[in-house]
Amino acid sequence: MAAEMNRMPFFYNQEGRLVQVDYALQAVSRGSTTIGIKTNDFALLSSQVKPTRPLMEPAEKVFVVDDHIGATGSGYIGDVTTLLDQLRVAAQRHRVVYDEPIDIGTLSRNLSEYLHEFTMYAVRPFGASVILAGIDHLGVQLVQVDPSGTTFKGSAFAIGQASDDALETIVKGYRPDLSVEEALALATQAVEGVNGGKSVIEHGVVTSTSKKFEHQNLAHAVA
Amino acid sequence: MTTTVGIRSKEGVVLAADKRASKGFFVGSKVVQKIFALDGTTAVAIAGAMSDAEYLVNLAKAERRLLALRRGYPLSVKESAKLISNIVYSSMKSYNPFYVELVVAGVDGEGAHVYTSDMSGAITSEDFMSSGSGSPIAYGVLEQGFRKEFTLDEAKKLAEAAVRAAMERDPGSGNGVDVLAIPNSHAYGEAN
Repeated sequence: MAAEMNRMPFFYNQEGRLVQVDYALQAVSRGSTTIGIKTNDFALLSSQVKPTRPLMEPAEKVFVVDDHIGATGSGYIGDVTTLLDQLRVAAQRHRVVYDEPIDIGTLSRNLSEYLHEFTMYAVRPFGASVILAGIDHLGVQLVQVDPSGTTFKGSAFAIGQASDDALETIVKGYRPDLSVEEALALATQAVEGVNGGKSVIEHGVVTSTSKKFEHQNLAHAVA
Repeated sequence: MTTTVGIRSKEGVVLAADKRASKGFFVGSKVVQKIFALDGTTAVAIAGAMSDAEYLVNLAKAERRLLALRRGYPLSVKESAKLISNIVYSSMKSYNPFYVELVVAGVDGEGAHVYTSDMSGAITSEDFMSSGSGSPIAYGVLEQGFRKEFTLDEAKKLAEAAVRAAMERDPGSGNGVDVLAIPNSHAYGEAN
C-alpha cells in the first residue's frame, strides 16, 4: 500500500495530505523574501531581488498587471512569471468582455482556480505564491494566493525565505495610519532584517488617490 | 455608410468622422461615436458594422496593453495597425469577416502616421486617408487641400472640411463632425 502511494504522489497520502502541494509551499519558502502591506489609503509590494552579481541587471520582481493592479511573487521565478501572464490576460479579457477594469476578487479567484487545477491531476503544482495589490470599487485590496489555490485577504503578508520572521517585524511596526514612506521603510527593514543587511529590494505602490499601480524607487521614499 | 478621415502633419495626427449611424434608409442614430482612442498615442476611426468595429477596437486595446506590459514598451502605430489587420485577415480567411474599414492614426518615436485597414486585412499608409461611403467625396477635398507642411491646426481644419463636404452629398454621412487630434508630444506618454 505504502509503495503504491509513493508511485502516485499526486494523491492524498495516509495522513490526508497532498505532498506535492506541501512541496510546492516548501519551494515558495526557499524563494526571496517578499512582502505586501496594506492600509485604507494604499497597498505596497516589496520583493528582495537576488542573486545580485557584478555586471548583471537585477531581475524584475514587482509587476504591473493592469493600470490599477500590481503583483509580486516568491518561489520559482519561471512559475511566478507564468502566473503573472495568467493574471494579465485575465485582466485584459475582463476589459474586452465588460469594458471595465477587473476587480481584485475576480482576478484572485481566476488565479486561484488556475492554480487549483494543478492540484487535481498528475502534474506539478506551481512552485510560487503570489501577492496581489490593487484598487477597485471595494477599496484598496491585498491578496495572497498559494500554490494550492488558497486565497488570503489581509493587511500584511510575507512569503519566501524567513517569511515568518519578516512578518513578525511588520506586525510589530504596522499601524493603520502608516504613510507610504513609513510602509516602505518597514518593508525594507523586514526584508533586510532576515537577509543580513543591505538588500536590493523592488517596490510597487497603488494608492486610493492615484488608482494606479506604479514602481516605487527607494531614493524617492527616503527623501 | 460613414465618412472618416485621417491626416498626418509634422506636428501630429488628426482623425475626423461624422456622427450618423444608418439602418438601411433610416438614420438609426445622430450622435454615434466613430473615433476611439486606443490610448493617449493611438486612435481608430471606424466605418462599417458598428458591432464588429467596436469589438475589434476593444480586442486591439487589450492585445496592445498585454504586449506593452510583456515587453516593457508600447507599440508603434505601424505595429498597432498590423495587429488589427492580422485579426481582420485571419477572420476573413476563416469565412467570418469583420465588416469594417478602419483608419488607424497615431504618434510614436518616429512621428505621426495614418494607416487604413479594410476587411481583407490589407493595410496601407499615406499622408491622408479616408474610409466609408463618403470617402470618394472626402478624398476630393483632401487631394485639393493637403499640404505636407501643415500645422496640426491646419490639418484639423482640412479634416473637418473633408467630412463636411462628404456629409453634403453622401446620404450615409451626416449629423455633425467629431475631430480628434494627437500631437507628437503624446508619443510614448500615457497622456489623457
